[in-house]
Amino acid sequence: MRISIDHTTHYTYEHPVRYSTQYLRLVPRTSHRQRVLEWRLDTPARPLELSDGYGNILHVLTIDKPVEEIVIRSSGVVETSSAVDEQYDDEPRLSPLLFLRPTALTYADAALVEFAEQFRRRAGTLTGLRDIAGAILGRLPFQPGVTEVHSTAGEAFAAGNGVCQDHAHVFIACCRYLGIPARYVSGYIYSAGHVESAVASHAWAEAWVVDRWRSFDITNGRPAGAHHIRLAIGADYLEASPVRGVRTGGGMESLSAHAVVTPQ
Amino acid sequence: MYDEMYGKPGEIRGHYAALERWLSTMPPDVVEEKRREADLLFHRVGITFAVYGDEAGSERLIPFDAIPRIIPVDEWDVLERGVKQRVTALNRFLHDIYHGQDILRAGVIPAEHVLTHEAYQVAMVGVNVPNDVYCHIAGIDIVRNDDGEYYVLEDNLRTPSGVSYMLENRRMMMRLFPELFEQYNVRPVEHYPQLLLEALRNNAPQGVREPTVVVLTPGQYNSAYFEHAFLAQQMGVELVEAADLFVRDAQIYMHTTSGHQRVDVIYRRLDDPFLDPLAFRPDSVLGVPGLLAAYRAGNVGIANAIGTGVADDKSTYPYVPEMIRFYLGEEPILRNVPTWQLRKPEDLAYALERLPELVVKEVQGSGGYGMLIGPTASREQIEEFRQRIQSHPANYIAQPTLSLSTCPTFVQNGVAPRHVDLRPFVLCGRECKLVPGGLTRVALNEGSLVVNSSQGGGTKDTWVTA
Repeated sequence: MRISIDHTTHYTYEHPVRYSTQYLRLVPRTSHRQRVLEWRLDTPARPLELSDGYGNILHVLTIDKPVEEIVIRSSGVVETSSAVDEQYDDEPRLSPLLFLRPTALTYADAALVEFAEQFRRRAGTLTGLRDIAGAILGRLPFQPGVTEVHSTAGEAFAAGNGVCQDHAHVFIACCRYLGIPARYVSGYIYSAGHVESAVASHAWAEAWVVDRWRSFDITNGRPAGAHHIRLAIGADYLEASPVRGVRTGGGMESLSAHAVVTPQ
Repeated sequence: MYDEMYGKPGEIRGHYAALERWLSTMPPDVVEEKRREADLLFHRVGITFAVYGDEAGSERLIPFDAIPRIIPVDEWDVLERGVKQRVTALNRFLHDIYHGQDILRAGVIPAEHVLTHEAYQVAMVGVNVPNDVYCHIAGIDIVRNDDGEYYVLEDNLRTPSGVSYMLENRRMMMRLFPELFEQYNVRPVEHYPQLLLEALRNNAPQGVREPTVVVLTPGQYNSAYFEHAFLAQQMGVELVEAADLFVRDAQIYMHTTSGHQRVDVIYRRLDDPFLDPLAFRPDSVLGVPGLLAAYRAGNVGIANAIGTGVADDKSTYPYVPEMIRFYLGEEPILRNVPTWQLRKPEDLAYALERLPELVVKEVQGSGGYGMLIGPTASREQIEEFRQRIQSHPANYIAQPTLSLSTCPTFVQNGVAPRHVDLRPFVLCGRECKLVPGGLTRVALNEGSLVVNSSQGGGTKDTWVTA
């Protein structure tokens, strides 16, 4: 399936920002599951292209003259395969063990420990993990606006609903607590019926089952497939987030992010 | 008990004979006067150390003791070879775990132990650092047990501190007791700042001929702020805080009165999670946004490298002799203290049975915080620790209580033996070097084995004599 993506992140500031640095993970990589046919990244200044420790494409953007707005536009066409759960050709030197370490956002607190424990017996199997994913969606129905980007797995679980990021964090926290390597995936999803949708930016999780990474789109109750476009992986949202930045000056900030995902 | 000065009762070790003669001729009031002079001088140069949790005030002098600890050169030669061997192996280990991971595949160290360690930094995977050196400044803690042998107690590979006291103690001794230096051929330590600068300059990105080096401090509220300022001043480089630095095009620059200047090497005295808020803790205000990208791009040298903590953890320490055999094909010159890893059930059972005899430490602890010294602990303290261990066994290691050697020390009622340890500082640039000596710390309370400055210990000048 050919999918085109047009993703704009638009910051506006009350006063001019004097200095700003951003780490951008906005360029997908080609893998067995997806082929990047064309891609462009438009930023107010020329960014430097690097990779991070996970092999994600990382752009470093520095703006050091006063600006009142910052617009980052990322767009392109990706061809996806409908094969699911195929092992990705990500950094082969990265051991799954690295994804056993809890992070601040994926720490299993007492409530999560109690929740995860009931799945311990079949936790190492694909169906066991699907059960966990299903139970999470049951406990945390999708509802935007309750949690925020820095909510932890524990906070989201306590809130009783959440967005895809929360679902992924809670799933990852449970997996790691149960000794199963799990990681965060940021990307896009094409949802039929949504011609234009702000929720086209998406997140899901992967868990290491026996000998390969398996994907779990907890929010949609299925594995990642032809409708999913993968941007970056990391231990949690903070490590895989498409845009992470700091600034000096600017006063109040308002952000609008908009992703349009359409089949071709 | 092994005393550094006395062998059998009343028998003075040869290298201490001249010092003993000098001591016996010192009238007590002269000693007292010199001590006051030392306090005054230390105050004037501003040597202070913040003691966390000390209500008397956040800064105080580290007590300085005027009786030096003397190490004969033949013993020093062994120590020097031993710590260089150790730091060389640790650097090889760090390179390996961020590249080929041979030692993990060989099963010498469990892969899980290294890769799930919270100080292991994925950001360092595949990154090449100048000369393959990760640890440019190491502080290796060494004690002498009652068998007269030296043992390595701990490797400090993140941001080891205390070297400023080594240098200031020497200055103080030369000023207060110049006559003593006429009787001993004390090998110099004064060139340490030059060796440090050389090691840092060797860590510059490729092709940079005249690197600009800075010392990055978290600021004046850090317990070792004095040392950060002291070392910068001694090396003749800038002392900076994060706000003085910025990143443009993945290069680090410093704001100066005459504009922006490129920075090539950062001697950071700031822990990994705070270095770059875009890569690690987003709430850190002590770090430089973009620093990690500049580092990964090879545009700045960082000392010590990011991710060294995985090698100096107390739960990694038991594997260091194996690392030496694995990477260097040599037998360790210095011994480890036998260590029980409480994440292993049999070690845990052993330790829980013998808590009153053992020293128990948190694997991530430093500065003498979070430890139990069985023989001097109360029954309540032991029980409280037992519960802490049982709820998180993997957080702890246990070791036998060593009988640290003693060294004569000025105390309230004259001269009395007090326990000491030793921290030599190993510097690695293209090769590993160290000045003859180190920081001798002394436990000032009678019978106490805790020498950490953060726990109220004092220091002594350390002499290596030819």
